[in-house]
Amino acid sequence: MTEKPTMIAFQDVHKYYGDYHALRGITATIRAGEFFSLLGPSGCGKTTLLRTIAGFEGIDRGVVMIDGKDMAGVPANKRPTNMVFQSYAIFPHMSVAENVGFGLRRAGLSKADLAARVGEALEMVGLKGYGARAAHALSGGQRQRVALARALILKPKVLLLDEPLSALDKKMREHMQVELIRLQRQVGITFILVTHDQEEALVMSDRIAVMFEGEIAQLADPETLYRRPNSRTVANFIGTMNFLPATVTSEMGGRIEIEAAGFGAMALEAAQAPGAVTGGEVSVGFRPETLTVLFDGQSAGDRESMATIEEVVYFGDMTYYDVRLDGTQSPVRISMRNVFGRPVLDIGTRTRVGWSPGAMVLFR
Amino acid sequence: MSEGSFWARIRRTEGGSGLLLVAPPGLYAILLLAAPLGTILLYSFLTDGYLEIIRDFTLMNYSEAWTNELYRSVMVRSLAVSMAVTAITVLLAFPIAYFVSFHVEPSKKSLWLFLITIPFWTSYLIRVFLWKVILGYNGVVNSGLLGIGIIDEPLTFILYNVNSVVITLAHAYAPFAILPIFVALEKIDRSLLEAGQDLGESRFMTFLRVTLPLAMPGVVASILIVFIPTIGDYVTPQLVGGPEGRMIANLIQLQYLRLDNYPMGSAIAVSGMMLVVLTIFFGWAQARLFGAAFRWFNGTMPWVAAVAMAFLSIAANFGGVLLIASLLPGAVAGVLLILSWHIALLVMLKRGGGMA
Repeated sequence: MTEKPTMIAFQDVHKYYGDYHALRGITATIRAGEFFSLLGPSGCGKTTLLRTIAGFEGIDRGVVMIDGKDMAGVPANKRPTNMVFQSYAIFPHMSVAENVGFGLRRAGLSKADLAARVGEALEMVGLKGYGARAAHALSGGQRQRVALARALILKPKVLLLDEPLSALDKKMREHMQVELIRLQRQVGITFILVTHDQEEALVMSDRIAVMFEGEIAQLADPETLYRRPNSRTVANFIGTMNFLPATVTSEMGGRIEIEAAGFGAMALEAAQAPGAVTGGEVSVGFRPETLTVLFDGQSAGDRESMATIEEVVYFGDMTYYDVRLDGTQSPVRISMRNVFGRPVLDIGTRTRVGWSPGAMVLFR
Repeated sequence: MSEGSFWARIRRTEGGSGLLLVAPPGLYAILLLAAPLGTILLYSFLTDGYLEIIRDFTLMNYSEAWTNELYRSVMVRSLAVSMAVTAITVLLAFPIAYFVSFHVEPSKKSLWLFLITIPFWTSYLIRVFLWKVILGYNGVVNSGLLGIGIIDEPLTFILYNVNSVVITLAHAYAPFAILPIFVALEKIDRSLLEAGQDLGESRFMTFLRVTLPLAMPGVVASILIVFIPTIGDYVTPQLVGGPEGRMIANLIQLQYLRLDNYPMGSAIAVSGMMLVVLTIFFGWAQARLFGAAFRWFNGTMPWVAAVAMAFLSIAANFGGVLLIASLLPGAVAGVLLILSWHIALLVMLKRGGGMA
């Protein structure tokens, strides 16, 4: 796959609200045609960053470029971006068609052309024939589609989505996730999504920037983010990660040898320490699904350890085992897919656990 | 069936308990509002015999009120004054309400509202007197202007005429106009304004297409709140109006208390009310039509033309009502003016296929 051209570039962007340092030197690029997510807990600055793209927030230092142009001093109405607001911001005094056609006034279209364009946009978001409805008579999902159509009808270079799914119920949210991915592929423009829901970000994005306290902690594709988080904070924010104490015994030529509690000695690749760990006391982290509780005669992974089951949480399709590996202080979680014919083990059972050094990540 | 069970039954049903709740204020309203209004309506059709009212049905009072040059000119003046006061007050109130709602820190808004209502701490009468002091021959304005040499002799056109009535009333009703507009502006979701700009409109166009339409309920409320009481205001024209500033209320007072002509006074009062109803009806019909036209134009019309239309619309209606009030032959012209404007709007809508 060839590298796509840059659509948005942040260079050392800083933003202050009084004494509060909301954005602390953001440097990143977002590529053209990419589905990009800004993910982080509330107050991490992700919405502020989105608003600096839209032009609703000025920046105190740094540069925001859209499609190669410096956006300093360019007001929101002159930027090649459109936004889907968290509240959807549907104009309550207008019909659906008037809302969708709002931005086309300046295009000076004839009435027929205007109606045709509005019709197309409504059809694209699955609201064909809703044009005459009053905006206030719509459901949450419909309002969101109107907001999408209203933004996409202007053919922006970048579509900004500020937590667009947070007001919807779970079913609707999952449905709209798929819908948004489909739309993005169809129109082919850059989508930037702000969300605090890690699952949503993983499902939808080509790349994700995880933000904490005004900084980008890690920017990567979903798989890398999940498998190789570069810090404990990122690892904890995305999914579940187990940690066990370990000691670096030698480090040379891109190979790191560690001695980990419960696992013993193992050798790791440099890529398994994305946070650039050097020497001394570290933590080794692993996802619950990378360990396997082994039944009689089974084997999985490169290595095995002995453990005692301390807690069993049955989920129907999954079982979570909290097990204590021999020689460790605290239990780790293992998730197992339930297979027909395989029993769920009881608390207190002694069992073998299979694992692979390749699934481990080192943290400071 | 006992009395107790009757009350219990009423209280049990939703409609019954609702009626019970509104009964006291309802009774109050009937006794103090509907009954006097009914009496006045009745009086206006009776004949005046000096010091007594003769129970002869007649339309003479109305024909006198609507044809007598003096009464007519006072009614037209009342209408003109209250329209002017309404226009000035609402136009001045809007920027203030806008400023407080959009540019004052949320924590300081109540302080601003409090400051705006401070004039109410003084009696209305005293405030009117104060304007007399300010606008008088040797008043603040005149001595100030004389002192800095802008004028050589005191201005006389600022007191005891229509101007002073308009100034005084506009000041008195300013808070009434500010508050409803402020409330309407406060209710506007700020992200709507961002959406307007995000979709390519400037701040000014966003104001015209989003803020203003959403603030209209507040504007309408303040128009009604200012227009209806000012047309019947008694104190201000009495104190600062002089002979040329007299309004309907002064005329009614004259008929009732000086000339002891209750039927005539009642007929003038009822005419005044009709004038209010007429004006509001035309204003409402106009707003409906104009709103539809504006919506239709929203996508395709330059805003300058839209604003021009709004002004034309206001001019056609207020002008028309004024002409109707001045009676024949002006009334015919007034009706024609209003009708032709409405027809013009309808034709435009029809041709555009008007968005529903």
